[in-house]
Amino acid sequence: MSRVRDRNESAWLLPTGPGSNLRLREDMRRHDETDEVDIVIVGCGAGGATLLQRLARAGWHAVALEAGPFWEPERDWVSDEAGSHHLYWTEPRVISGSDPVPLGSNNSGRGVGGSMVHFAGYTPRFHPSDFRTFSTDGVGADWPLDYADLRPYYEDIEAELPVAGEHWPWGDPHGYPHRPHPVSGNGELFLRGANACGITAKVGPVAIANGRFGNRPHCIYRGFCLQGCKVNAKASPLITHVPDALAHGAEIRPHSMATRICFDEHSGLATGVEYVQGGVTRFQRARMVAVAGYSIETPRLLLNSTSLRFPDGMCNDYDQVGRYLMVQGAPQTAGRFQAEVRMWKAPPPEVSTEDFYETDPAKPYKRGFSIQCVSPLPITWAEHVAAQGHWGPTLRRYMSDYPHWACLGALCEFLPLEENRVTLADETDRQGIPVARFSYSQCGNDRQLMSAAQQVMEEILTAAGAEEVITINRYAHLVGGARMAATEDAGVVDRNCRSFAVPNLLVTDGSVLPTQGSANPALTIMALAARAARVLVHGAHGGARMSAKED
Amino acid sequence: MSSLPLPEADGGGRYPGFRTLAQADHWDRATSAVVESRLGIPPDVRFFTPPEEAAASALFDLLLGQQDEPRVPVVNMVDARLAEEQTDGWHYDNMPRDGEAWRATLAALDSEARSRASCTFARLDPDQQAGLLRDICNLDREPWHGLPADRVWSLWTRYACTAFYSHPLAWDEIGFAGPAYPRGYKNLGVDRLDPFEVRDIRPGADPTHGADR
Repeated sequence: MSRVRDRNESAWLLPTGPGSNLRLREDMRRHDETDEVDIVIVGCGAGGATLLQRLARAGWHAVALEAGPFWEPERDWVSDEAGSHHLYWTEPRVISGSDPVPLGSNNSGRGVGGSMVHFAGYTPRFHPSDFRTFSTDGVGADWPLDYADLRPYYEDIEAELPVAGEHWPWGDPHGYPHRPHPVSGNGELFLRGANACGITAKVGPVAIANGRFGNRPHCIYRGFCLQGCKVNAKASPLITHVPDALAHGAEIRPHSMATRICFDEHSGLATGVEYVQGGVTRFQRARMVAVAGYSIETPRLLLNSTSLRFPDGMCNDYDQVGRYLMVQGAPQTAGRFQAEVRMWKAPPPEVSTEDFYETDPAKPYKRGFSIQCVSPLPITWAEHVAAQGHWGPTLRRYMSDYPHWACLGALCEFLPLEENRVTLADETDRQGIPVARFSYSQCGNDRQLMSAAQQVMEEILTAAGAEEVITINRYAHLVGGARMAATEDAGVVDRNCRSFAVPNLLVTDGSVLPTQGSANPALTIMALAARAARVLVHGAHGGARMSAKED
Repeated sequence: MSSLPLPEADGGGRYPGFRTLAQADHWDRATSAVVESRLGIPPDVRFFTPPEEAAASALFDLLLGQQDEPRVPVVNMVDARLAEEQTDGWHYDNMPRDGEAWRATLAALDSEARSRASCTFARLDPDQQAGLLRDICNLDREPWHGLPADRVWSLWTRYACTAFYSHPLAWDEIGFAGPAYPRGYKNLGVDRLDPFEVRDIRPGADPTHGADR
C-alpha cells in the first residue's frame, strides 16, 4: 500500500484550519461541452467523487455533474438542526408499499460530497459473509465478487478518510489508521451496559480524524456531525477526494441536474449526458458515462433514458432497473438515567457492536443487526417523543428531561426483495421529468430482526442503569436498485460496475449493492468505486473504450 | 421575550438561569444569522388563508402546550416553510403533497368542529379542542376525512416540533446548549458539564412516571 499522500493529497490541499481551497475551484479545468471527454460522472457523492479522483489521477479528462451546490462549509453550513434542511435532496418523490420509507432527510444528500456531508460518520466494513448470503444462509443474494476482492480498497479508503477506532474483532479482523476517540456520556453508558450483558462493544469505526491529518484539524466534539462538519474533521468526499481530483484536472459542474443519458442506436453506446443548468438544457459528450446518483435517482435516470433500443429504460432489458432496493431497519431505543447524559455532546457516532451481525442458528431469523450510538438533537428527539403519542404539556415535560436520556440505534439487515423498487410516477418535477415512486414492504425476517434488535438495545440500556426505555421504529440508508450480478438477467451491472447492456456505461454508487449487511454503506460504496476505477484505468489506458478484457 | 411560560409540573424551571443566547458571542457568523433570524418579528402569514391560519394556530398551541404569551410563533414558521415549499419533497401515495395536505387537514379540523359544536376548530373551547385531537390521535391507521389518521398526525407533529424546537427559548427549557461552533465541548462523559451548562435541579422528574404530575 502506497503512502496516503502519494495517492490522494486532498488533506494537504485544504487550508490549515476550517474552510475550503477556493483557489483550486477558481483554477479548475473547464472542458468545452463539444469536447468528447473521457468520462462524465452523474453525481458527486461517495461513489462519484471517488471515481472522479481516481480517474483524474490517472490522467483521464473527467467531468462530474452535481445537481446541488459546491459547498463552502464556513459559509453554507450551520451548527443548527432546522437550518440544515438544504443538505437534503428534497425534490418531489412518491413513497408507497406496506412500509413506505420517508426520504428527504437522513437517507438523502445533495451537493458536492453527497449524503456523506451529513452522514454520522460510521464506516464499518462489510463482513466476508455478506458477499454470499444466498449460498450460506439461503436468503438475499451472492455478490459477483468476494470480500477479498474489496479488501485492499477498504484499506486504502480507510487511510484516506481516515478512520479512527479500536482494533475490530468482527468479520475480517483489522485495525484502523487512527486511534479511537474519547467517548461522551452516551458512549460511556453503551460500553457499561454492553459489558454488563457480556456483549462486546468497541469504540469506532468513525471517519473522523483523531489528531491532525494533513491540514485538517482535530475534532472539537461539538456534536453537529449530521449538519455537515464545519471543522473539516469528519470525512466527506468534499474534503477527502474532491481537492485531489481538482488538482489533477477534474471538472465539477454544480447545479447541474442530469435528465437523460443519451444513446447511439448504431454503435449501441452511450454518447454523453443531457443536463439542466440554470434552466438551460445542455449536453456533455463523453466516451464513457458513470451514473452515481444513489439508489433513487440512479434508477430514475436510467428509467427516464428511453430510446428505440431501450423502450423501458436504459439497461432495463430484464426489468432489473430499480429492483431490490433496500433500507436498513433502524429502530432507536432510548433509556432514561438519573444522571445527566447530555447525549448531544460529542459526535453522535461513537461505539458499535457487531456481535449480532451474523446468522445465529439458534434464532428463527436469518442474518442480523448491529447496534451503534446515536444522539438525536432536539428536533429529532422531539419527533422521537412525539412518536410515542405524546403531545401538549406531556411533550414539553418529556423534552425538559432531555439531558437524562441516552440513545442507541440498530441497523437491521433487511433482505433484498424483488418488489421493493423504484418506478416512474405520474407526477413530474419542475423540469417536466417523471419523478421516482419508491415502494417498500418488509418481509417476516425483517420484522423479526427489528424486534430482536429492540430487545438487545433495551437489555443494554437497562444493564447500564436505565429506569425506563422507549423505542421508535425507523429506517436508515438506501442501497440497491441497480445491483451487480453474475449474469445480465439478475442485475444491471457486472462485478466491475459496468452495465451489461451498454459497454461504456457504469453505475458507481450504492445502488449496485446486492445485499447490505448491518453496516453503514459509505465505506463500501467508496471501495467499490475505487475498485471500478482501478479496473477502468488498467483495462483502458487514457480513457479509451473499455476492452472486453477485465481485471 | 426572556423565557417561555412552562409550569413546574410540566418541566418548567429545571435549568435555572440557563440561556442558550448567552453563548451567542461564541457562535460563527453563518449560524448566528440563521438562529437569530428566529428571534425577530416573524414573517407575515402568506400561505395559509385566514380560516386556515386560525385553525393552524389553535392546533399548534395544543400540540405544543403553548397556552400563554410569550409564544414561539409556530404558525408563522410553518407558514413560511410551506410558502417557500421548504418541504422534505416526498409524500405518501395516499396523501397529497405537504402544502395541499395542510390545507385539506385544516379544513377537515373545521368541518369536524362544526359537526360537533357548530363552530370552527379555533372557536371550540380548549377541552373540546383537546378531545377532538385525542380522537384523531387514537384513530391510528384508520381514515380521517379521507386521509390516514396516523399520517395526518405525523404531518402535524413533524412540522410543529421542527419549528418549536428550533427556537433558542425552547432550548433553554430543555437544557440544550445550542450551536457549538467554533467552541465545541471539553467535558465529555456522564454527569460532566462544561462551564456554561446548567445542571438539572430536579433530576428525579422522570416524565415516564405519571406520579410526577
